[in-house]
Amino acid sequence: MSDPIQPAPSGDDLRPHNYDGIQEYDKRLPNWWLWTLYLTIIFSIVYWFYYFTTRVGPDDQTVINQAMGKIEAVKLAAVANLNDDTLWQMSRNAAFVNAGQATFTANCVTCHLASLRGKAENPAAVGASLLGTRWIYGGRPVDLINTVSKGTARGMPAWGPVLGTSRITGVVAYVLSHHTPGEPMEIVPSAAPGVK
Amino acid sequence: MNDDTPSGRLPVARASGSPVSQSKSASQKSTIPTPTLESVTTIRADGSHVVLHPADVSGRFTRGRRIAGGALIGLYAALPWIKVGGYPAVFLDVASRRFHLFGWTLAAQDLWLLFFLLSGAGFSLFVLTALLGRVWCGWACPQTVFLDHAYRRIERWIEGDAMARRQLDAARWTPAKVGRRGAKYAVFAVLSLLVTHLFLAYFVSVPGLWGMMRAAPTEHWGAFLFVFLFAAALYFNFVWFREQLCIVLCPYGRLQSALIDDDSLVIGYDATRGEPRGKEAGDNCRAGSPDPVSGLLSEALPKEGDCVACHRCVSVCPTGIDIRQGLQIECIGCAACIDACDDIMTRLRRPRGLIRYDSLRGLAGRSTRWVRPRTIAYAILLAVGGTVAVRALSTVRPAAFGVTRMLGAAYFFDARTVRNQFLVRLVNKLGGPQRLVVSLQGIPAGVVQAGFEQPVELAGMAEEVRPLVVLVPRTVYTGSFHCLVTVRDEPGTYQLSREIDFLGPDPQLLREDEDHAAPGGPAHEKR
Repeated sequence: MSDPIQPAPSGDDLRPHNYDGIQEYDKRLPNWWLWTLYLTIIFSIVYWFYYFTTRVGPDDQTVINQAMGKIEAVKLAAVANLNDDTLWQMSRNAAFVNAGQATFTANCVTCHLASLRGKAENPAAVGASLLGTRWIYGGRPVDLINTVSKGTARGMPAWGPVLGTSRITGVVAYVLSHHTPGEPMEIVPSAAPGVK
Repeated sequence: MNDDTPSGRLPVARASGSPVSQSKSASQKSTIPTPTLESVTTIRADGSHVVLHPADVSGRFTRGRRIAGGALIGLYAALPWIKVGGYPAVFLDVASRRFHLFGWTLAAQDLWLLFFLLSGAGFSLFVLTALLGRVWCGWACPQTVFLDHAYRRIERWIEGDAMARRQLDAARWTPAKVGRRGAKYAVFAVLSLLVTHLFLAYFVSVPGLWGMMRAAPTEHWGAFLFVFLFAAALYFNFVWFREQLCIVLCPYGRLQSALIDDDSLVIGYDATRGEPRGKEAGDNCRAGSPDPVSGLLSEALPKEGDCVACHRCVSVCPTGIDIRQGLQIECIGCAACIDACDDIMTRLRRPRGLIRYDSLRGLAGRSTRWVRPRTIAYAILLAVGGTVAVRALSTVRPAAFGVTRMLGAAYFFDARTVRNQFLVRLVNKLGGPQRLVVSLQGIPAGVVQAGFEQPVELAGMAEEVRPLVVLVPRTVYTGSFHCLVTVRDEPGTYQLSREIDFLGPDPQLLREDEDHAAPGGPAHEKR
């Protein structure tokens, strides 16, 4: 840069070092700048005392445990009222059944078909029949919840993380709406899908 | 001031001290600091901050900047209210991860495009700076726009001109002073809150903001804290900090030293024409002096240059420099000194432009080279970046999708088939419903797709996860293969695709297994 007027270096506050012809003045930093520095130093000391020396503040593990506890509580509250009786009740309630049918159509018909008959209708289908009285993993409402949430070794995926409790409850209510409480139930653990 | 007052205090605190310090600060404040090249005018030798009171200025550049600034503030205030395609013109809906820009919606999946926005802004500033210097700082930077066209206007309106403000600074705390200062600070506070609320409206929309404002602060604690802390920062900035942001904090301001050269447009003083500085009284000696613009020759050599040392360029400068000392890092290119000097030159019937927009080369009497290696290099960078950005933006579709393998085993097989199970996540980025068709491409003959037999109807902005099962009958199974999952809208205006791997057992082993296991036996699980 060619400055029209060169500054007259005032000598005494010019620093002695010289890098590629660039020299610098030794000026006082702005006070606001210094104060931000001092405040960050004070903050770090207070922080250190609060969290690490006196341990007044909660440590990370406590914070995580509290947050996980809250999640756990919400989850428990969602399943607290789930038992065979309430699920049967839901299966007779149009709101639950309709919501469950929507979820079933979106996620379950791929394998169990829209008729719920799965391999019973078409041997090429992936999923077992959800109608009738023969069950592979148990036919009680809570068994169904368990199977849908956790999946099975034969390839039924764990839908718990994908759908969440309320949609799983709806799906089970929809399946139960095709059954009646107290109907005979036969557990056939060895039954392969496709055997009706 | 140097002895007893802790430096760095607000000017209010300073003036409210003991009578002794009041009279001292009064004398200090009444003097306009003399700018030097060796130090920042607005920082005293003891490190304390000088509150500048730039004098009023008017002229063509000031008028132009007022219009530009007013338009920019109007645009800032209007964008959240204008609706384009059912959404605010700019609505960065972080909560639902949808970003609406002038009727165009991007999802979180498109966030990679932000790279082009940021690098594009960077390259544009490179070119702009190399060609036009700090034109951004003076004309479009929010700091300058809000400070010069909102806050300083209010200050001028409430407290009067620079002289009156300096006197008010020095005055004792009478009820009149408390009233004026209080009114200014109150209006500043309200304005800062207004600006901050509008800023939040870009992220939560105006109705969302209105809902939050009527609710208790505890219901939206984060937003409430953000607004009030941000407003406090703005208030501090515009009441006191002001030019310090441009001089000390702004990284772009610092970076510019490396981006400009002798041919970049800057605001400069024509020393050849102005020096040696004379007095207005010596105007008569100019009778036939050479006119640097017209190039007319004089009959007699001039005793004095065109600069009459009236100090106007210094007194109007918002960063407190003397532009006649040459290009300095503090200069934000606001052109106030140009208007100030042009006014004086016009009154003295001398040509305008003693201080003007020109390159350092131009100010030295040579011609500016607009096309030079630096501008060519920056323009090429911008052109390459722009081309890639346009190419990238052209790949954005009104839907997004992803395919992941379901949790659990990688593959399953039973008596008839080997199968893989996937989850397909579909995102509709349009405001209205869309019907999407999901299908497999490049699959061997006989492979069956279960799921997505019907087009999926997605509501506006909806996101859904659905299963996709790929079944390979044992009779045609020959091992693992790649294939494509494609998504298109029902009319077929666009298509997206992802590659997936179909995984399965070794076909040889599967056949041996077939020989041993009875048909219809239990299904197997393989990992």
